[in-house]
Order: sequence, then C-alpha cells, then structure tokens
Amino acid sequence: MPKNKVDRMKKALMRSNTKLLLSAVMAFQVLAMLLIAFQKETMNPQALVLAVALPLVTWLTTRLMGRVWPVDRAILIMVLFLCSVGIITLSDIAKSDVTPRTQSLYALGGILVMFAGAAFIRFWRQWKKTTPLLMGLCILALASPFAPVIGIYKFGARNWVGVGPITVQPSEFMKPVLILCLASGFSNRPRFARCLPTIAFAAMCCGVLLAEKDLGAVLLYFLTTVAMYYVATSNAFISLAGLGMGAGAAVIAYRALPYVQDRVAIWQNPWSDPQESGYQLIQSLIAIGSGGLFGMGLGMGMPRDIPLYYSDFIFASITEEFGLIFAIGLLAVYVLIIMRGLIVAFNARTSFHSLAAFGLVIMLGLQTMLIAGGNTKLLPLSGVTLPLICSGGSSLVSTFFSMGLLLGLSSMNAEDEARDIETLELKEEGVF
Amino acid sequence: MKELRRNMRVVGTLVVVLFVGLAAWFAMTVFTQGSIWASDVRNSRLRSTNSLRGDILDRDGNLLATTAEDGTRQYTHNAIARRALSQTVGDIAGMSGTGVETFYSATLLDISTSLVDRLSELFNSKDHVGSSIQISVDGPLQAYIASEFPVDEKTGAFYRGAVCVTNYRTGEILAMVSMPNYDPYDLANRTVTQVEDTAYLNRCLQGLYTPGSVFKIITLASAITNDESVVDQTFSCSGEWTYEGGHIVCAGGTSHGTVNLKTAFKRSCNVTFGKLAYQLGLERLRQTAEQFGFNENFKFGDFMVYNSAFPTEISSMNGLVWAGIGQGEVLVTPLHMAMIAGAIANGGTMMKPWLIEKITNSLGAATTTAAPTAYRRVLSESVAGKIAEYMYETVQSGTATRAAIKGYTVGGKTGSAEVSDDKTVETNAWFTGFIYDDAHPYAISVVIEGGGAGARMPSELAAKALKKAIEYVG
Repeated sequence: MPKNKVDRMKKALMRSNTKLLLSAVMAFQVLAMLLIAFQKETMNPQALVLAVALPLVTWLTTRLMGRVWPVDRAILIMVLFLCSVGIITLSDIAKSDVTPRTQSLYALGGILVMFAGAAFIRFWRQWKKTTPLLMGLCILALASPFAPVIGIYKFGARNWVGVGPITVQPSEFMKPVLILCLASGFSNRPRFARCLPTIAFAAMCCGVLLAEKDLGAVLLYFLTTVAMYYVATSNAFISLAGLGMGAGAAVIAYRALPYVQDRVAIWQNPWSDPQESGYQLIQSLIAIGSGGLFGMGLGMGMPRDIPLYYSDFIFASITEEFGLIFAIGLLAVYVLIIMRGLIVAFNARTSFHSLAAFGLVIMLGLQTMLIAGGNTKLLPLSGVTLPLICSGGSSLVSTFFSMGLLLGLSSMNAEDEARDIETLELKEEGVF
Repeated sequence: MKELRRNMRVVGTLVVVLFVGLAAWFAMTVFTQGSIWASDVRNSRLRSTNSLRGDILDRDGNLLATTAEDGTRQYTHNAIARRALSQTVGDIAGMSGTGVETFYSATLLDISTSLVDRLSELFNSKDHVGSSIQISVDGPLQAYIASEFPVDEKTGAFYRGAVCVTNYRTGEILAMVSMPNYDPYDLANRTVTQVEDTAYLNRCLQGLYTPGSVFKIITLASAITNDESVVDQTFSCSGEWTYEGGHIVCAGGTSHGTVNLKTAFKRSCNVTFGKLAYQLGLERLRQTAEQFGFNENFKFGDFMVYNSAFPTEISSMNGLVWAGIGQGEVLVTPLHMAMIAGAIANGGTMMKPWLIEKITNSLGAATTTAAPTAYRRVLSESVAGKIAEYMYETVQSGTATRAAIKGYTVGGKTGSAEVSDDKTVETNAWFTGFIYDDAHPYAISVVIEGGGAGARMPSELAAKALKKAIEYVG
C-alpha cells in the first residue's frame, strides 16, 4: 500500500473540517484587537500589533501542529481561542500595556510547551518504571514553597516560589504531573491494595497543599483523584467513601480554620460586610449585573472596580464587557473541549493513555466550574484560575502543557486507527 | 477497557450536566437579580454614565420623577406630594436606599441595553435614555394621607409613623406613607438642608415596630386553627391576671367580666389573649406566626423589606403570655401588618406585595409587566372568615368604631403597643384592617408613634385613607 494513501487516511481521520472554525476565531481576534486599538483618541500600537500577531500565531500553530502530528485540530483551535480571549480582555481592561504584553509572551512560551507536551506523551513509553520518580518530584515541587529563600507568601497562601523577579506556582505546574502519576498508578484495572501507594501519594499532595493554605488546589487535586480512581476501578463504594471523607475533612477544616469560615460567610451574605470582606464579591456581582445580556461593550465597562479583575474575577470582567450570552458561550467552549477530550479518552488504546486524557479534561472542567461558580456566587470563592484566560504565567503555561498532552494523545489515536485500517486492507488484499 | 469507557461516559456526562446547571443558574440569577445588583450604590458605573434617567410614573400615569431638557431631575411640583412620595420614589443622591430612584437606578439608566436599541440610538443620534418605571402607588392618595397625618399638639409637628395601603386581591401597594419625610430638592442644596432625623427611612418597609394588640389577630388565628371549639369558650377577666412568674393587665385596668372570644377580641382583652397564648404554648403560636411570615427572609424583589420577628425560644411563661398580645420580642413592619389584614380579607391567601407595575424601555416597549402572584395560603377559608367577622364586629361595636365607613363593610383591629417598661413613653398607636368589597379590596395598616390608644387617631386616619382610596383608585 502506497505511503501517501496512509497519509490521506490519517487526514481523513481528523474528521472535522476545522477551516471554518479557524477562520471564525481569527476574525474574532482581528476585530476585537482592532476595536481596542482604535477605541481611544490615541491609537494603541500594542493592540494593533496583537491584531496581526494573534491570528497569525493561531494560524501558524494550527498548521504546524497539524503537519507534524494528526492532532485533533478542533481542540487546538478552541484552546488558542480561549487564550486569545484572555489576551483581548486584558488588553481592554488592564491598567497598563504590560499585563497583556507579558500575557502574550507567556502564551507564546505556552504554545512551545504545548508542543513539548505532545511530543513527551508520544515518546514516553516507560511510564510504569518512571512513575515513582515522578511522584517524588511532584511532592518535592509542591513542598518547595516551604523552602527557605525561594518560598513566597502571597494572598494568604504560601504557594509560590521565586528567584529574583521570576516567580512560579508549583501547584499549577504539578497538575499534569499528578494526572500522569495517577493514570499510571491506576492503569490496568488494579485491586485496591495495588492502588494504595498512588492514593497515599495523592493524599500527601493534598496534605502539602493544605499546609500551604492553597484550598482551591486541594479541592481540585482531591476531586480529580476520586474521579480517576472511580473510572479506573469501578469501585463506587471506595470512591463514595473517599468523597465522604473529603466532605468530613471539609467540615473539620471549616470548624478549625477561621479563613475557611470567612470564605463561606462572604459567600452566604457578602452584603453583611460590603466594605471589607464582601467587597470583592459584591463588585463582581455589580459588574455582572451591569453587563446584562449583551454586555457593556468592549472598552465600555468598568471592571477595574473589582479587586483582582484580571485574575480571580476575570470571568466577571468578561461578563461585564461581553455580556451574559458570551459568558455562557465561553462555558460552552470549555464543555466542547471536555467532550472532544472525552472522545480522545474513549479511543485511546491503553488504559494509561485513556485515564490520562480523562484526568486532563476532568480537571479542566472542575477548575472552570469552581472559578465560574465562585464569581457568580454559586460556590464559595476558592481562588483557582480560569484556565487559559486568567492572567498569570504559571497557570497558562501549565494548562498549555496539559492541552499538549491531550493533543498528543489524540494524535496517537488517529495513527492507531489509520494503522488498523491499513492492516484491514492488507488482509483484504490477501497479503496475510 | 469496556468498563473504563462506560465509567468515563458516566462521569463525563455528570460534568457536562453540572456545566449546564451552572449556566442555567447563572442565567437565572442575572435575569432575576441582575438589575438589583447593578443598582447597588457601590456601582460607580451609574455615576459615570452619560445616559439620562427614565421617568417614574404612578398608577394613573402621573409623573413622579422625570429628567428635564437641561438634564436635571424633576419631581412633582406640589411640595406636599413631593415630600409624601420622597421615600417611595427616592432621590438621585441615593439617600433613601429603598426608593425606586436608588433601587432601580440601573433600569432607569439602562446601562446595559440591547444591541438593537444601541444601533437605533446611533442612527437617530439621540441621547441614551433609560427605561421608565410605572409604580402601583397612587400619588394623590399618598399625598392626601400624608397631609391628613395627625399633628402632635405638644410640638406642633406631625407625629412620626407610617400608613400602608394595599390591594389584597392583587398585592399591589397603593400607598406607603412614612413620616417624617423630606424634600428631594433640598438634597441638591445641602448647605441649607435641614432634613429631619430618620426622614430617609421608609417606615412601611424598614420600621420594625412592636405590634401590641394588632398581633391578637395571629393569636386568634392560631387558637381557632388548633381547636375550633375555642370560639364557644368563655373567659373571665377581672382586669388583671397573675400567673406563675408574671402579671398582665387590661388597658386601663378595665374588667371585661365573663366574655366569649368574640367580645374579648373586639374589646381587646389582654387577659383572655394572654390565657389563649398560655393554652397554645410557644410552639403552636410560633408555627402560626411563621405561617404568616414572621421570622422569614422576605425577598419580594421590588423593594427591600425588613424581616418581622417572633421569639423562637423564651426563658419563662411570662415571655409567652406577652408574645400572645404582641409585646416583648415580637416585631413587625407596617407593610407586613397590611399583608396580614389583607390575607384575612382575601379568604386566607396572602398575596405577594409588589410595587413595580410596568417597565418600559426608551423605544416604548414594555420589558416587564407585573402580574399578581399568591405568596402563600396562611389560613383555611373558614378560619379567615371567622377572623374577618370578628374584625368587622370590632369596627361595628368594639374598639375600632371610628374606622367605620358608611356604606362599606370595614373590618379592623386596634393596638396600643408599649414601647417602654415603665409606661413613661406614650404607646405606639396601631390600626390594621380592610374593606370587604369586591370593587375596592383594600387593606391598610396605620402606626402612629407615641399616638396613644389605637382606637382614636389611627382608626380615624384609616377611615379617611380608605375613603379616599375608594374615590381615587376606583
């Protein structure tokens, strides 16, 4: 069978025609950045550069990655879209040009890391042997904020490390590592006893994060672990017991830790202390309410009244500027990434790869729900980031790496399917 | 692998369903709460917008507030009406927090309009004008009640207090008078302003008063609901009653002798109702009170109203006996009292009170139109009918004879609520009642601070107000 026929099949297996999606995303990027560039009396040169750079990078990345590996382009384009929504919103609402500029540079780095992630998962075959090493590394990295000199205390949590001006948040970077470790430990339908080391590892991660007061990360790590354990072992009893223990721990944490009580009290009634503790949430709700259905319009709102409008409350800022309909559409994009990611998990050939893809999308979904729910007063605010959109390098680069892993997995599926069809045809031709 | 895929499908579906739930919840809260959030006084967008405020109209279309050509905010010309409506309509300085100007500022300014509106404004090159709001209040009626409010002869000024008139079949608020009031024009000119203390407060919504004897309606409802034979029971009243741990007297030490329940109600016998509360016990009395909305977090949407309170635990029998006659820790707002009287007249169904009749955007399209909704059935029809009959008797031949209106069936209950422990302060005078009439189904509550006996000033004022309501609201 000629080589080019296999290649054509590989392409056909990418199924979706993504040209329309790509054009729509690029058009959105150009129009939004042009609007920002020319909305004030003086032209904003950086926005004008971004009006060219954003669609160009989106197009190049999609073409290049699609050339190298048969990845699921729909996921790739949606990931790049979300990232550009972040850069557009920051260009519009941030006080200075520096924030969107650094965010764009992080995004560029993130795209490179995404390629690295895809390559890594494609070539990593020794997962069983290297997992213990990875686990040790993960715990060390999570505990590093406690180390002298490099550990940093920020926003009431000790979860940053830094040397000079460069600071990173290990709990962000360890998210994909945790998922790979769990996928490896839970693969091949193990008995409970064989899962214990992996469970102990996850519990240690949660313990370290709890000591750092990074509650949002604890919640994410915990829920992802339970979800992955359940799908890998079908053991509903232990999974529910785990959830029950988590709920118990939450109650104890609520009783013992005053800052948890504060968070819950603010969530229940922010208006009881509108000037101090409830201020953030009230300003978030005011912004959302002002935006209404169609938003105040790009550049017309005042999301800067919300403290942390660029990070914890960027979802509220987006709702104010673009409106409720757009914000719900944004949630729909996350759901579409999750659904395509689940297809990747269904089609994977080994349980390790399947679990890895599943863990990546579940964590993405949980994280999005926690922060969107926190901004809209459905859940107490837990200080996790809105994936790919929220300002900040650690979260962005780490999520790009996770999405790189997912894309790498999707390309492996496509190749496996192409190979299947090839074998089938060779059989029909009577070669075997 | 097959099992793994099945489990992944289950968890994946769960996550997607949660997302749909999140989006639905988000959309729902923005629809129901969005404009209230946006109207928050801490919203700096409202101050920086260059859009013009829409009009506020009363139920007959009289302009209560409008934006003039030069951009200034104009209120009713008549100074009495302007002051009478001050807390209801509000002011652009936001001093009266529950006023429409403040509570609905985001709607009046329409800071987030739809794309269609924006484009049409762009092409017509008009100023951006916000929505107009029509409220259910009758402006002339409210002005009349405020002007008829009794004057304290000692000081020569109006008494403090509140009058709330509602339509008990629909739940519309027809008048919310709160004394003292203020002139919204004075606020523009703060140097000369001498606004009376607590004038910004809308006492109908934010005045928590001890109800005193008007609470006997609830004690009566609880007694009849729990044991219908109580209506045939007789009580003996010697003008005072000493029980384990306390002592209760009737107003002025009057001895009512041997009375049945109806007579005890219409003469407002404290001893009988203290005994009734004692018989019922705290749990049953509290249950009825909570059925009527006490201890409830009221969220009516159109305005902010304080929550009424009934004690959930008491330290002694004394507390229970006093709670039965509306003293002690019992607190109620005038609006809630009017809702209670209205529920009696409406056959036991309490209607949800509302103020916002219609919201019309700048293009003239109605975006919100109110419709009556039942809040809750608080009593069975037969018990409600019984209490209505007793309240009618109270106006016919009891303490509230001054509330009678010729040609109409009026029911009511008076109250004189003690606000001090040693009787050094004159009691707050209450009246609450209704007209039993299909064309004019109005409920009213009147409270006059330090007004003495409920039989006198509040009953008279209620009769005047209801007469005018019949004439004006039609």
